[in-house]
Amino acid sequence: MRLLLIEDDTEAAKYLAKGLRESGHAVDIAADGRDGLQQATDGHHDLIIADRQLPHMDGLTVVQTLRERGIKIPVLILSALGAVDDRIDGLRAGGDDYLTKPFAFGELLARVEALLRRGAGATIATRLKAGDLELDLLGRTVTRAGRKIDLTAKEFQLLEYLMRRQGQVVTRTMLLEGVWDLHFDPQTNVIDVHMSRLRNAIERDFRKPLIHTVRGAGYMLRDEA
Amino acid sequence: MKPERILRTSTARLATVYGTVVLLLVIVLQSLVFLLAREAPQREMQEVIATELRGFTEEFHAGGVERLAALLRSRTDRLGRIGAVYLLVNESRERLAGNLSGWPLGDPKLYSGKEVRFRFREAEPGSRSHPVWARVEELPGYYWLLVGTDISESERSLRRFGLATVWGVALIAALIALMGWWYSRLTARRVRDISATCDSIVHSDLSQRLHVGTRSDEFDRLSETVNNMLARLEQQAGMLRATFGSVAHDLRTPLYRLRVRLEEGLLRPEISRATRELVAPALDELDRVQRTLGTLLEIARAESGDAARAQEQVDLVALAREMHELYLPGMQERGLQLKLDLAETAPVAGQRQLLAQLLANLLENALKYVPSGGEVLLSVHADLSRAVLTVADNGPGIEAADRERAQQPFVRLQERADLQEGSGMGLSLVRAIVRLHRGEVELQDNSPGLRVVCVFPAWRS
Repeated sequence: MRLLLIEDDTEAAKYLAKGLRESGHAVDIAADGRDGLQQATDGHHDLIIADRQLPHMDGLTVVQTLRERGIKIPVLILSALGAVDDRIDGLRAGGDDYLTKPFAFGELLARVEALLRRGAGATIATRLKAGDLELDLLGRTVTRAGRKIDLTAKEFQLLEYLMRRQGQVVTRTMLLEGVWDLHFDPQTNVIDVHMSRLRNAIERDFRKPLIHTVRGAGYMLRDEA
Repeated sequence: MKPERILRTSTARLATVYGTVVLLLVIVLQSLVFLLAREAPQREMQEVIATELRGFTEEFHAGGVERLAALLRSRTDRLGRIGAVYLLVNESRERLAGNLSGWPLGDPKLYSGKEVRFRFREAEPGSRSHPVWARVEELPGYYWLLVGTDISESERSLRRFGLATVWGVALIAALIALMGWWYSRLTARRVRDISATCDSIVHSDLSQRLHVGTRSDEFDRLSETVNNMLARLEQQAGMLRATFGSVAHDLRTPLYRLRVRLEEGLLRPEISRATRELVAPALDELDRVQRTLGTLLEIARAESGDAARAQEQVDLVALAREMHELYLPGMQERGLQLKLDLAETAPVAGQRQLLAQLLANLLENALKYVPSGGEVLLSVHADLSRAVLTVADNGPGIEAADRERAQQPFVRLQERADLQEGSGMGLSLVRAIVRLHRGEVELQDNSPGLRVVCVFPAWRS
C-alpha cells in the first residue's frame, strides 16, 4: 500500500516513514499543507496521514479541500490538540480517524492497518469465522468447535470488533472507541479486564489461543494454523 | 421578584429606616400643631371669662345682688357673648339670675375660685347636653357666681382637627411605604440583572457584558467598570489560551521526538537485553507525562469555556449505566463492589465525551484509593430543575481541610502519594468539567469515605 505522510516535523516524519516502510508500505512525505494537497490530488495513494498544524495550509483544510474535490481516500489526522471537540472538528472536516501526539508507533500502525482494510472488509456478513470460532450476528450466538459459548452483550461486541479485524493489531483506545464510543485515555487497566474475561470465555476449554496480546500495542485475534 | 426577597434587600432596609424617621418627625410635628391649636383658644377663653368675672364683681360691690342679677338678665336677654353661660345662686342654690336652669355642681363652697368643666342641658325639652367650661366666684353674703362658655363648638373642631391629623399621618406613612417599596424593587431589579449576568459569566461565558443604561447613575458606572474588567479578563483568557496551544504544541513535539527516538532505539537488534530493560520503563514514564499534559490541556480548555460550544442532550442515567458496565469488571478484579442507584432519566446539556471522562476520573479515583473489600456507589437522581450525580465510596476519604485543595491541579494528598501512580489532576478535571456544564461539585464526607456530588442544571429544550 502507498501512503502519503504530511508532516512538517522532518525528524518525526523520517522515523514514521521508516517504521511504516518496515511494515511493508510505500511512503511519500510532504513537508507542508500545499505540497501535501498537491501530492494527494495526484491520486496515487491509498491512505493519507496528515498532521493538523502545518505550514501554509493546515491539515483540516487539506482534508476539507480533498473532500470538496470528491477524493474519498481515507485520512488519519495527527494532532497535538487532544480535546474532545478538536477531535470532532477533525472528523467533521472529513478525517476518518484522529490520533493525538505523542502516540506509540504501534497505535499509529494499528489505526493505519484498520483504515486500509476498512474499505476491503466492509462486506455485509452475517457470520464471522476465526478457526473453529464462529459468531452469528443474526442469532447473536457464539460457538467454538460446535459448542455454544455464553457471552454478555458487551463481550459479544468486543469479540465482533476483534473478529472483523482478524490479524490486525487492535489497541486499547481503539477498543474503547469502537465498542464503547468513548474517547478518553483510561489510566487503569479496565479494558484489559474486559479482554481477559472474553479470553477466558472463549479459550478456557480449548487448547489453542485465539486472542493474542501484542506487547506495547494491544491485542490481535488470529487463528494460528 | 418575591416580596420577601425585596424586603431582604439593603435598599428596603434603608427605605424602612428613612421612612420610620420621617414618619416620627411628621407625628411629632403634627402633635405640636394639635397641642397649640388646642391651647390658644382655651387661653383666650380664660382671659374673657376672667375679665367678665372682674366686671360682675365690681357691679356687685357697687350695687349689690339686685344690680348684678339685673345685669345678668340683660346679658342673657340681649345678645351677649356667643355661647356664654351665667348663673348667680344664693346660699340655698336658688337661681337668682342666669341662663342655666339650676346649679350644675355640688356644694358651691368647694368650687369657689376654681375652674370647672361640666355638661348641662338647656331648659327647653329635647335639647342636647353641652359641655361647658366655667369659673365659680364667691361673692360676699353667700352668693355664688358662675361664668362660663359652651365649648361644644371648639371641641368639635378640635376633634375634626385631630381626625385630620391622624388621617394625614396615615396617608404619609402609606406614601412612604409605597415609595420605599417601589424604590427597593427598582434597585433590587437592577442588582438582580447585574448578578444574573455575572452568574452566567462566572459559568464561563466571558464574552457577555452587563447592560449600561443612559442615565450614567451609580449602577451604570458599576456596570461599566465590571465590563472593563471583563474585557481585560477575556483578553487575558484569550492570550492564555493562545499561549497554551503553542506551549502544548511545543511540549508535545519534543515529547513526540523523544518517544520516536526511544522506540527506534529499542527496535535496534544490537542493543542488549539489559539496556532494553533499562530503557523500556522510560516509555511508560513518557506515557504518564503525555497523559498529564493531555489532562492539563483538557482542564485549561474546559475552564476557559471554549469547549462549551458543542452541546447536546446527554442522559446521565444512560451514561452512568455504560460507565458502570465498563468499570464493573475492573472493580471486581480489585475486590471492590460497584453499585448503581439510578433515576429513570436525567437529561443534561453537555458533551457526552467530557461527562464520560468525568465519571471515568471519579471511578478511577475509587479504583486507586479504595482498598479491597470496599464499596463504590454510583447514583444519579433528577428533578425538574437539576440532575445530581454522586460517586460515593467507603475508602479512606479526604480530610475536610484538604477537600478544597484536592480540586486544584497537581495536588496529590501527601499520605497517599505512595499508594498509586496518578497525575493528581483527576478531581480538578472533574471540577472543570462540571463547571463547564454550569454545575457545581462538592466533596463530602461519606463517613467513612469520600462522596463527590455533582449538580447540573436539568436539560431544557
